[in-house]
Amino acid sequence: MLELFAYDFMQRSLLAAAMVGGLCSLIGVFVVLRGLAFVGAGTSHAAFAGVTLGYLIGWPPLLLAVAFGVATVWITGWLEEQGRMKLDVSIGILYTATMALAIVFIGLMKTYNAEVYGYLFGSVLSVTGEELLLIGGLAALVLGLLIAFWKELLFIAFDQEMAEASGVPARRIFFLLLTLVALTVVVALKTVGAILVFAMILIPASTAYQLTHSLTALTLYSVIIGTATALTGVVVSTVWDIPSGPSIVLLATAVFFFSLVISPKRLRISSGHPR
Amino acid sequence: MPRGPRPPIIRFDHASFGFPGVTALEDITLSIEAGEFIGVIGPNGSGKTTLCRAVLGLLAPIKGQLHIFDCACQELRCHHRAKIGYLPQKGVVDRDFPVTVFETVMMGRYGALGLFHRPGPEDRRIALESLALVAMERHKDTALGHLSGGQQQRVFIARALAQQPKVLLLDEPTTGLDLPMQHNVIELIQHLHETLGLTVLLITHDINMIRSRVDRLVLLKTRLHAAGPPADVLKPNILEQVYGKGMVISDKDLVIVEDYHHSH
Repeated sequence: MLELFAYDFMQRSLLAAAMVGGLCSLIGVFVVLRGLAFVGAGTSHAAFAGVTLGYLIGWPPLLLAVAFGVATVWITGWLEEQGRMKLDVSIGILYTATMALAIVFIGLMKTYNAEVYGYLFGSVLSVTGEELLLIGGLAALVLGLLIAFWKELLFIAFDQEMAEASGVPARRIFFLLLTLVALTVVVALKTVGAILVFAMILIPASTAYQLTHSLTALTLYSVIIGTATALTGVVVSTVWDIPSGPSIVLLATAVFFFSLVISPKRLRISSGHPR
Repeated sequence: MPRGPRPPIIRFDHASFGFPGVTALEDITLSIEAGEFIGVIGPNGSGKTTLCRAVLGLLAPIKGQLHIFDCACQELRCHHRAKIGYLPQKGVVDRDFPVTVFETVMMGRYGALGLFHRPGPEDRRIALESLALVAMERHKDTALGHLSGGQQQRVFIARALAQQPKVLLLDEPTTGLDLPMQHNVIELIQHLHETLGLTVLLITHDINMIRSRVDRLVLLKTRLHAAGPPADVLKPNILEQVYGKGMVISDKDLVIVEDYHHSH
């Protein structure tokens, strides 16, 4: 099995999986704490609509994925801020609308395009050197912004109104977080696909949430779980010849259910520990 | 000890607040001096929380003006907001949020620090001092979710103090606490007011708990019905206008409003 790691495609795949797994699980901490799970799911489908339009009109697909993803989260955030509708309602509408757009764009294509379906279902094993560079660049940008605004992101996840009242520019930070979620989704699109990408953001942080009451530990556990399941998933998919995206997500899901069983929070509740 | 005149720190001038078609507070004129201890009372839906959001600079007046630190509230900048320590209503904050007591209090420094600045030793010292002021320093490494309701309120008061505020704004800080803990929290607030010279705005339903502690009471029901020393505000005829006749019990010089919060 070790000879697998000598292949270029395998090295590229593992590098992409490690970057995507680490980044998704890091931003996932804020997504879980701020309650933005459905926003991410909607963003991935909007980004996929951008990819399909890119292939249809011959523009760079990832560029349009960024445009569609960011536009969707900004419209959603703006509608919530204006008090027009709740976040889950607006994202539900945009989620289905952008998916409908994607289907229309695919329908308008004259021929079957396997690459488009690669973005829908994920194909980490076919990541090229150029794509790896793009993933790396976007990942570095998101990581840098996460580190620069870490304390503000933490505060708005804790309580956005309290953060605003305390002198933190919470509104701008919230839109920054939405933008980072959209960028992360685009980074991960090729690896696990539009349908499953959000699992990589949500599951590692949700798993870590079961295991600790410390934010530092939660972040660390989330990144370890996200990176480890992404790498293991790629290896499993290669050895057993099954699709890589689903194998990463199913592995992460198995770890999540295991964490529920061993969670100290669950043990505390069942033993009647005073709150 | 008699106090001389002090400059107003918060000034409502015929200010109204609300949303299109809904006026939550109407024509409020009120000056709050630096160092005053003000109790804000009124039934549910009377505009107490709206007043709180206005003072925080989160809601601009639709009519009239509100000045905070001599600055129109719609022009409040982040460094002004950092001078108002705020304790939100219990239940607004996720108590299971994975954060320790010390990390929670450190958040009080973030607004004053500004963007791109990391907390340093001085910020950690201020956070520890704030924890000491509420007697919670030995719990600094405890998870917030593991504390009792009263202890969590103390931690949130410490978070507000870590801002080194001039004004402490507390939105129903005793709700959901048992009676001894309610006294405990109110005594702590009074102690902080006296020792740190903070201007305190305490929004509460519990008139009887604060009547002997505040300098002035502000009675709201969409409009400002009364503002003044407790003895001037807690009169049966004034209270009955706001709470209704059945809710006000009068026995010689003692006037009690039945526990409105719990009876609804």
